[in-house]
Amino acid sequence: MARRIVYQMSVLVVGFGLLMGCGVVSPESSFVATHPQELGPGRPMCADCHGDDVMKGSLKPYSAFNHTPDFVRNHRFLAGSDGNTCAVCHAPSFCADCHGGKTVMKPATKLGERPDRMSPHRGDWMTLHKIEGREDPSSCYQCHGRANNDKCRVCHQ
Amino acid sequence: MKRPSYVALIATVMSACAWGQQVSVYGTTLAQTWKDETPGFDAKTYTPATQFLGIDATGLGMDGLSMHLYGWGTSDLGYVKASGGKADGYLTYGYLDYRFSQANGELKAGRFSINQGGGFEQVDGISGRTDLRGGFAVSFFAGQPVLYRPDDPALSKDYAYQRDVIYGGRLSLRLKSLGEVGVFYVQDGSKSPKDLPVPEPVDYTRKQLGADIHLVPVAVVDFSGRTIFDVASHPDPGVGMAKPSRIAEHDYRVRVKLPGDFSVSGNFAERNYYAYFAGTTLPSLFRQDDRDKFRGYGADLTWGQASGIQVVGDYKHTHRESYGDTNRFGADLRWAVTDSYMAGLGAHRTNATEALMVDPITPAFSLSNTEVRAWAMYTAEKLTASADAILYSFQDKKNPFLNGQSSLYEVVASLGYQITPAVRVSGDVGFGTTALAKNQATALLRADYRFGFGRKGGR
Repeated sequence: MARRIVYQMSVLVVGFGLLMGCGVVSPESSFVATHPQELGPGRPMCADCHGDDVMKGSLKPYSAFNHTPDFVRNHRFLAGSDGNTCAVCHAPSFCADCHGGKTVMKPATKLGERPDRMSPHRGDWMTLHKIEGREDPSSCYQCHGRANNDKCRVCHQ
Repeated sequence: MKRPSYVALIATVMSACAWGQQVSVYGTTLAQTWKDETPGFDAKTYTPATQFLGIDATGLGMDGLSMHLYGWGTSDLGYVKASGGKADGYLTYGYLDYRFSQANGELKAGRFSINQGGGFEQVDGISGRTDLRGGFAVSFFAGQPVLYRPDDPALSKDYAYQRDVIYGGRLSLRLKSLGEVGVFYVQDGSKSPKDLPVPEPVDYTRKQLGADIHLVPVAVVDFSGRTIFDVASHPDPGVGMAKPSRIAEHDYRVRVKLPGDFSVSGNFAERNYYAYFAGTTLPSLFRQDDRDKFRGYGADLTWGQASGIQVVGDYKHTHRESYGDTNRFGADLRWAVTDSYMAGLGAHRTNATEALMVDPITPAFSLSNTEVRAWAMYTAEKLTASADAILYSFQDKKNPFLNGQSSLYEVVASLGYQITPAVRVSGDVGFGTTALAKNQATALLRADYRFGFGRKGGR
């Protein structure tokens, strides 16, 4: 099995290399890896500086990345399709604060000094999850259905 | 991942740091203690210590090549063990990343998280992406899923609910000033269920095909969403039973910016659990044989700016076929007084259908509740201080989850000091009630270290 996985991955990497090497790949230079200027405190509103410009790479207006309350609550779609854009300002550990796979404590505990961050599971979450889980278990599944379910198994055998 | 693989991976990425042009090392040490006072039981005090460690090294011998490592370890210091007396640890991610200077091309190898198509996965494997001509882009990932505690260690390699391989890909088309559409596919396992080490008559493999869309035709309108289809083969349902829907999920959202610092957003979501829960590693909780369905819609109205006062009013209606309806509404206020002071206030009411029980004394109980939260934060050059309080008030004391309590609260206060540009210490103290512990007091000491030249770390 291990040999087959290595073989499959090799095929993917070689295929990717061929794709990069031949003419189907975009000739455009890549988007910057790091934002050229330090950003101030608080949630950035990209359009405040970039106006109605279209972002290179994502080809979407900068306003699509404004960190509005709605964006913060529903960032999963953009994080999936435009992860490179997130990485311009955020180190990978920023995501791992909440999406860390197996975790040792609630994000709200780890980030107890940052009440401004939208850390999930504040208060007595062990009690509250029984209520919210009954109303909609798919909200739990998004993070705990396939991973990070070690502690779930203690009760949900 | 086996222990020798862990060692090899960590040794590789750690030694790779020596080649880095920019290396950032950051860590957080946390010493916690909390005391639970549960009526009828002796008070217990827990004292675990936890270390988080991360390394980002860029320019490893060549531009574009970087290494990223992050994980944690914990151990109980006290007599009463919160973790059953076992030290524990975890490698959250550890991978080499190469970013091409052309076409936003990227290759990753190692352990990483991937948010692609239908799933957010942790994978020991590889991933890649590149832009193509004509606005197209392609991405893929493949590897072994990172597993935690299988039901039976003997079955951990490949069995019905935890497969040995996971892979997926996405093809998208980006149109300048209009947006992006994409199609994606994700699958766990490569063997037929009858060929597994323990043959399984039912195929619980996740094979999901989906489409996503993100349209931003003008800067003030933003529409995004996705639909996911379950394309795995399933046995025919029993006589008289309807075939489960093949649509795992619809999830769509639109946001419109209005004049005068207003914006409004609305969303709609529908999930069929039989298809949506395909590939779960926790089948006892996320049951595929459960033909349940969820449907929800909601709206938010936001006023204000992030640099001043911002108010969000929100409403959400959800319906679960096996349970009933829930309506949640309320508002949050966030006030950035200056760059140093910030405060917030929120209140929400949840009205929920009564939950039914097979109990003649308490045949039903209410889940309805009210949530109130208030917080404040002060950040000076070296000093930080914050306070955060949350209260849940429940309508029905008969709710068995509450153990007879009608309200739960938690108050946390924190004080921090930047000792040097690289070292910061802070402490949190908290007090509250839980359904199990009548009183719970918590304390936490935190030391943050940040060394190196990287500019992004931690933001």
